[in-house]
Amino acid sequence: MPLIIDRTLVAEDKWTTVAEDQAIPADGAIILPLAQWLEHHDALKGREVGVQVNGDDNLDQVLALNGQVELIVVDIPAFTDGRGFSIARLLRRAGYAGQLRAVGDVTRDRLAHLERCGFDAMLVPDDRFESETLNAFDEVSVRYQGGASVTRPAYPQS
Amino acid sequence: MYQYTEVDQKLVDERVEQYRDQTRRYLAGELPDEEFRALRLMNGLYIQRQAPMLRVAIPYGLMSSTQLRKMAEIARTYDRGYGHFTTRTNIQYNWPTLESVPDILAELAKVQMHAIQTSGNCIRNTTTDPYAGVIASELEDPRPWCEIIRQWSTLHPEFAYLPRKFKIAVTGGPEDRAASQVHDIGLHLVKNEQGEVGFEVLVGGGLGRTPVIGKQIRPFLEGRDLLSYLEAILRVYNLNGRRDNKYKARIKILVNAMGIDTFREQVEAEWAHIRESDLRLSQSEIDTVKAQFTPPAYEAPAADSALDAQLAENETFRIWYERNTVEHKVEGYRIVVVSLKPYLQAPGDITDIQMEAVADLADRFSFGEIRATHHQNLVLADVKQSDLLEVWKILDGNSLARPNIGTLTDMIVCPGFDFCSLANAKTLNIAEQINEKFEHVDYLHDIGDVRLNMSGCINACAHHHVGHIGILGVDKKGEDWYQFTLGGSSEADASLGKVLGKSIAADEVANTIEKILLAYIDLRESEAESFLDVVRRAGLNPFKEAVYAADH
Repeated sequence: MPLIIDRTLVAEDKWTTVAEDQAIPADGAIILPLAQWLEHHDALKGREVGVQVNGDDNLDQVLALNGQVELIVVDIPAFTDGRGFSIARLLRRAGYAGQLRAVGDVTRDRLAHLERCGFDAMLVPDDRFESETLNAFDEVSVRYQGGASVTRPAYPQS
Repeated sequence: MYQYTEVDQKLVDERVEQYRDQTRRYLAGELPDEEFRALRLMNGLYIQRQAPMLRVAIPYGLMSSTQLRKMAEIARTYDRGYGHFTTRTNIQYNWPTLESVPDILAELAKVQMHAIQTSGNCIRNTTTDPYAGVIASELEDPRPWCEIIRQWSTLHPEFAYLPRKFKIAVTGGPEDRAASQVHDIGLHLVKNEQGEVGFEVLVGGGLGRTPVIGKQIRPFLEGRDLLSYLEAILRVYNLNGRRDNKYKARIKILVNAMGIDTFREQVEAEWAHIRESDLRLSQSEIDTVKAQFTPPAYEAPAADSALDAQLAENETFRIWYERNTVEHKVEGYRIVVVSLKPYLQAPGDITDIQMEAVADLADRFSFGEIRATHHQNLVLADVKQSDLLEVWKILDGNSLARPNIGTLTDMIVCPGFDFCSLANAKTLNIAEQINEKFEHVDYLHDIGDVRLNMSGCINACAHHHVGHIGILGVDKKGEDWYQFTLGGSSEADASLGKVLGKSIAADEVANTIEKILLAYIDLRESEAESFLDVVRRAGLNPFKEAVYAADH
């Protein structure tokens, strides 16, 4: 699936996603569901580990990942489920500086919002990606609100 | 009124092109129906029974004559020569084509207008008092705060996909003409013990299937903290509101499920993180916006107004003056309510010609501004007393001077089954029936204020729960029936109406209203006791008796 990082299509993705009922591979960079990570994180010290969370996970446990992992993946089960936007804002506010990746029903018309909320990586389904998709970020170039990176609202401009 | 900066204009212009491309991709088959649906709704476009319906935003109900003329032009060019004002003080066009909407939006952008977030599960148009800035009892003009909320909520990246729609209303004084207690958030400008002006904040009000009066979450919020507090409420809602059932997804359900105290704790905990952030408004930011809402250049009152004599010699004018104008805070001026409830016309509808007539009146007599009201009328807020006769004549010549403001025929009515794909029952035919029944009834004006709200389905777009008389259309085996509620109010004394009894057949609705009103006249202790007062004092039983007794 096409992976966008910092508005650029990247060919290589070192991360392997491990499903809930799957054995943890012996080596390589792995993405674990939150529950698996909570269970096994002591044994995984020293490995490259990312964690996948979703809107149903305990928010305190999600925010506690800050400083513990190199990658946090937020699963967006349906494009209408806006919880991921708030989760991203809260993770960035907590100081999380690693890669924050949106996966699931992630498509063009949400990319700019995702980025403004703090996602730097987005995994877009194959059948929904075209090179033109990357134009989505600058369709509206001005904004009234702060976001994850720019915090000032528009008033000082007026 | 607020004038767009370059930033505002650029945002709206770019948004038009963004939507044009979304429409193009949809028509080319590149965008699935479900996704385009969410995008078009966030641009105000519904697909209705007859055709698409476009809802255009009128932020806090305030528009310029230039904007109203543009709405007339759009009605003429892209629609069938009329528009419909809604309880959110927006305007709806019932007959545009889907393909023409990007062009309509481009036309609107030329006059600093848009249709952003007039539908969809996002923050909708913020509403306020149609008498903002011109009513003596006001603490402070609420419109600068509405504009600040408009900007903050427009294309907010975090709150575009909420569990459900979200509505905010702001009032500036003790009276409530914005139905703020039945909003997701109600903001009341109040004074604290130190004499500072800030907001009382209510949360979790709403109508629809589960009507709820909003609960106080904070008795006093400093103005500079408005956006951080709103953001805290929205964030708690976005993360915790139900997404499994759209009928249980509004914030009122969350607040009731958590309890207001737990909900408040969560909001305050979140607020503690962001209160000192860049969301805090500086005084200069607040002042910049306030400077756009300064009072117009009122003239000193004329020493000998001819008004008294005009009222004395022209009874029709006098009746209109008494019913459709309101005391202005500046001596020598009146607030004029333009009735969009003419005889046998759909409530809230207005033709292109009428729009232009009102725009001309605004230019000549009311500093070029017009307001839309929650009750689906228009307001010319600053008319000199000496101009009233002329204004009345022109309004009358355009069927806009029916002296019925606040009376039974000043009904709030949704478009109902004739237009709306959600509706279960027709409303416009019932509105006609009521008009026909009561047009020549002498006692109507003696009855005084009666608020009649009629919705064509349980979604309650016409706020039937908070009508003094509420009527809800229901479908029973393919026939339209009408359920009555009595005793509702959306004002400062807000309450939800109680169901009168079993629903009424379509052809008996007006007769039923008559029975209710005659019972009221019978029950009242004096003419000063209003319909609502009597319902509250006497309860529903005497009214049940009056309506259903013959059935025994």
